Amino acid sequence: MPLSFLRRRNVMLALVLVAALLPLGANPYHLFVANLIFIYILLSVGLNLLLGYAGQLAFANAAMFGIGAYGTGLLQVHFGWPFLIAFPAGALIATAVGLTLALPALRLSGLYLALSTLAFAQFTQWVFLHWEGVTFGAGGFKTPQVSFAPLPVDHRHGLYYLSLVIMVAMVWFAGNIVTSRIGRAFITVRDSEVAAESLGVDLLRYKALAFGLSAFYAGIAGGLYSQMLNFVSPEGYDLFQMVLQKAMVVVGGLGSIAGSVLGAGTIVLVLEGLREFKGAQEVVFGAMLLVFIIFMRGGIVSVIRRHVPGWEEPLHRAGALPPAEPPTSLPLAPPAQERGVS
Amino acid sequence: MRRSMLALRGVGVSFGGVHVLDHVDLDVGEGEIRGIIGPNGAGKTTLLNVICGIHRPDTGQVVLDGEVVTGLKPSTIARRGIGRTFQTSQLFKGMTVLENLMCGLHRKTVTGLFAAGLGLPSCREEEERTEEAARLALEFVGMAQFADRPGHQLSFGQQRVVEIARTLISEPKVVLLDEPAVGLSLNRLSEFDLLLRRIRDDKGVTLVLIEHVIRLVMDVCDEVTVLNSGQIIADGKPEAVRNDPDVIEAYLGKELRARHSAS
Repeated sequence: MPLSFLRRRNVMLALVLVAALLPLGANPYHLFVANLIFIYILLSVGLNLLLGYAGQLAFANAAMFGIGAYGTGLLQVHFGWPFLIAFPAGALIATAVGLTLALPALRLSGLYLALSTLAFAQFTQWVFLHWEGVTFGAGGFKTPQVSFAPLPVDHRHGLYYLSLVIMVAMVWFAGNIVTSRIGRAFITVRDSEVAAESLGVDLLRYKALAFGLSAFYAGIAGGLYSQMLNFVSPEGYDLFQMVLQKAMVVVGGLGSIAGSVLGAGTIVLVLEGLREFKGAQEVVFGAMLLVFIIFMRGGIVSVIRRHVPGWEEPLHRAGALPPAEPPTSLPLAPPAQERGVS
Repeated sequence: MRRSMLALRGVGVSFGGVHVLDHVDLDVGEGEIRGIIGPNGAGKTTLLNVICGIHRPDTGQVVLDGEVVTGLKPSTIARRGIGRTFQTSQLFKGMTVLENLMCGLHRKTVTGLFAAGLGLPSCREEEERTEEAARLALEFVGMAQFADRPGHQLSFGQQRVVEIARTLISEPKVVLLDEPAVGLSLNRLSEFDLLLRRIRDDKGVTLVLIEHVIRLVMDVCDEVTVLNSGQIIADGKPEAVRNDPDVIEAYLGKELRARHSAS
């Protein structure tokens, strides 16, 4: 195959390499955009675990992103905690909130779950806006810059590499999860709850795990985002933020980790590229969503899979055992098998 | 008399005042193939749902291998050793046949979040064992060549067989089959007979099957229970049940009458 050097693993490694070397030849704006992409990759990979794998139609991811940012920022501002402690603590607060969201998800599904999580997200917005004594209200607040002191890097480069390392580690972690019994259990919950239970999959446990994981990813992203802007305010974590994240997951491909990476990168680049043209951002963003929903349901990754080998994402560790025989040469329905009559 | 593997004691279920099951007593011995037949609406599927915990009975108990399992969550009951298949195919979409079977081993595997996410050796090793068990189970039901095919590409009958293999992989004590022969052509039925017998004899699994294909029930079942309007009206060897006047009246008779009026 002429394109086989473009297999998923190679492309992902090349992207990481480009990202690692980018600071050598990039201006501060380029670095900012790349850092933003890392943050959105964390968000969309986490959301995809919940939405694409575990099949939970939840709308609270932007709120979790906000809780991570506010948690990290407020722990620094009010208690004087250093960023490197406030940051994981903020992510853990988001995770704890995410875990509790699994409780309504045990009883609700589909649109009802969407509405209840949306209500929760709006409530979070309300708290950001009106609990002024703690959150500083609509005006937001500044957060102190972390110093990477013993290391010979300034704030921008330090945060860039911190984000890159965390992003790569967490995407790798997610990739391992979805090829394990845990990822498969998520899919059993998505496809058929009764069948999942009949195989011994505990619904509460796996829904909680999916909500908790996605909230942790969003919380980490929020902490990094607050430090990148050194400013936190409610409007960054509103409904449009939620739409943006969902769009990345859908455009990249539901149920595909590589898809979420590409979806986040594509949407951030398109939006940033159109920043100069007034009004074009919204139009192009809307048009892109329509095109993907109508013509490319499987997202970018399904298009790549059609043309380039090595982009399949099996749900088990491939190559653990050599395959019994090549699967390609078999006819669809051998004569010995019955024809389905239902 | 065989040791009791699965027993129902006075199980009653009613939905909105309608008695779907009315004091049902059932005793299935270890290594038995039990057929449950009855006209539509007799309560057969409700009976399976009570056993595997989807419905909680209003009265009575379900006893699995000497332990009361009434009121436990379906996933807990599954972990105690009851597997089942459904009337409609419940293969997981977007998974290959092999991966579907690997899901069947969920209750027998232990890898946690961090071992899985970090790809620790314990996780890799368990993953290998799971895959090997899945391939063996596919071989057992004669579907090894379909391992890497997406589940939804198989014919309806093949999907049922894969689902049965998916329950067998975790070595359950009892497997409940809800109309497993739907979609099988007549010349495949004898193969299916054989498969059910091999499951009992080679795997030592107790089988309870609801079935409308009378030939299959009569050929393969050790004991047959006839349910009508939520009550057991006959219970015994297939030949005895076939000649029971109550059964002919309630079940076969109705069918004959229906055929008369249709022609």
